[in-house]
Amino acid sequence: MKKLIRIEQIKILNYTPFRILLLLYVVFFTLGIVIYPLIDKEIPIISLSDLFRFPDVWTFLTWITEPYNILLALIVIMMTTNEFSNHTFKTQVIFGLSRKELITQKLILIFLLASFATILIGVTSISLGLIYSYKLTFKIAMENIELMAIYFLSSATYMIFGLFFALIIKNTALSILTFIGLRSFVEPILFLLLRKTEIRWYMPMRATTQLTPLPNLIEIFKDKMNNPEAIEDTAIDILPKGLPLWLNILVVMGYVTVTVYFSYRIMGRKRLT
Amino acid sequence: MKNILEINHLSKSYKSIKAIKKLTFSIQEGQAYGLLGPNGSGKTTTLSIISGILKQDSGSFLWFGEEANASQRLRIGSLIETPHFYPYLNLERNLKILCEIKKQSYKDIDRVLKETKLYDRRKSKFRTLSLGMKQRLGIAAALLGDPEILVLDEPTNGLDPEGIAEVRETVLKQVRRGKTLIIASHILSEVEKICSHLAILKQGDLLATGSIKEILSEEEMIEFSSSDNEMLKQKLESSNLIKEIEQTNGLLTAHLEKDVDSGDINNFAFENKITINHLISRKKSLESQFLELVKD
Repeated sequence: MKKLIRIEQIKILNYTPFRILLLLYVVFFTLGIVIYPLIDKEIPIISLSDLFRFPDVWTFLTWITEPYNILLALIVIMMTTNEFSNHTFKTQVIFGLSRKELITQKLILIFLLASFATILIGVTSISLGLIYSYKLTFKIAMENIELMAIYFLSSATYMIFGLFFALIIKNTALSILTFIGLRSFVEPILFLLLRKTEIRWYMPMRATTQLTPLPNLIEIFKDKMNNPEAIEDTAIDILPKGLPLWLNILVVMGYVTVTVYFSYRIMGRKRLT
Repeated sequence: MKNILEINHLSKSYKSIKAIKKLTFSIQEGQAYGLLGPNGSGKTTTLSIISGILKQDSGSFLWFGEEANASQRLRIGSLIETPHFYPYLNLERNLKILCEIKKQSYKDIDRVLKETKLYDRRKSKFRTLSLGMKQRLGIAAALLGDPEILVLDEPTNGLDPEGIAEVRETVLKQVRRGKTLIIASHILSEVEKICSHLAILKQGDLLATGSIKEILSEEEMIEFSSSDNEMLKQKLESSNLIKEIEQTNGLLTAHLEKDVDSGDINNFAFENKITINHLISRKKSLESQFLELVKD
């Protein structure tokens, strides 16, 4: 295990595109959060900084930063397809890695990146929470902390899907296209077409997105609004009700298990050239 | 001698092309084993299968008498086809990755880089190397950790004459130290200089295996004439000295049996009271025998 971590470390730390993409991730992440306090003054009645209070900050930040996980998935795709185009999967097998270890290596990379993302959002949430909260008790701050684990799961799941596409497609551009196409075009269209059925919540990308759903903003702003009841009634229809959280987590874990299983299986049979 | 590698009825096809057909041979400890054959004869396919990067369709192989597994490969240093490394990493870091895989200390890196004359380039990125240097790095990588067995697939590919000689010297040094060597080549002279044993492949078929001496026995052929060619021909045909004999333009040409040389023929003629007045001995070159073997 340690061996695989050290190998992965040498590969990524000296690879400029990796460093640039990771830096971009951090920049987008920060900009995406900083922009809310900046536009706050433009919107009457409600104050967006309310969103940064404990415990709502957890819900809000996990929702707005969720799309950045796509960037992490792209990093995993790039690092995996590179191994094919450089023929280095082959070299590593010749020198004594098992085919299973090739996948384990990439799962370690995914684990590290997901941990990085989770720590980043954890630190940001705690900092913003401390700055914006009026009432601050440990209990309030820690409410919703389980969202960190859920965020880790959603981040890792995206990357595991990315790894899977990279393994079957082998080509960087095509893998990225498939990934983004499925997440941003195919599934959203199917989601609309299937709006009468429950199936739409079970689609892999959708289920993953839904792990950190749009927070109930009405609930958060209720105190500040003149006539909250009127809004709340209509809002119930607008806000889509997904699967219950426990079921959603189970569905995603199911996808993760199947994808990881097939990743190992595909690699076991692949011709490494 | 224990068996290092046993190959049993190994077959592999690429769509309709049969790359290797029911290959069976074994390699013992300390042998320098050459896989010889023209391009497309299945050498690389065989080495790819025993190195774990290609799955056979049928048949099996045993390393050290066991089913193949990844940990066996830690004891083997391999170079299959062209060497592939991370283009954006320098030589040292590329070898560090392989050291990690092979559970070797980083100390060995300097040794193999010096051995292959790449030490001065250790901080260069792999992609900046010339073809010959890449090939030498492949050999350096194979030597990492001083493995018991070397598997080299056309190791002198892309090297200049000086480089070829150096690589041959490096390989021979390993053989002299008692390492087992499996080397694939289509260049006969290379195999001849390095190997003790040989398997000749052609279009996936095994034509011959055994020690170099057995397979490419330096068969002797003599050309001679005598006072009575007809008589001598008849006498020789009924003796057990020759395989075949033919007469053309007053000259006799004979292929000798094993352990028979031109002196024996001379004595034989003398005993039969025939005087030989012309005798030339021709040894068939290994090259022509090899070409004969792989020819249809």
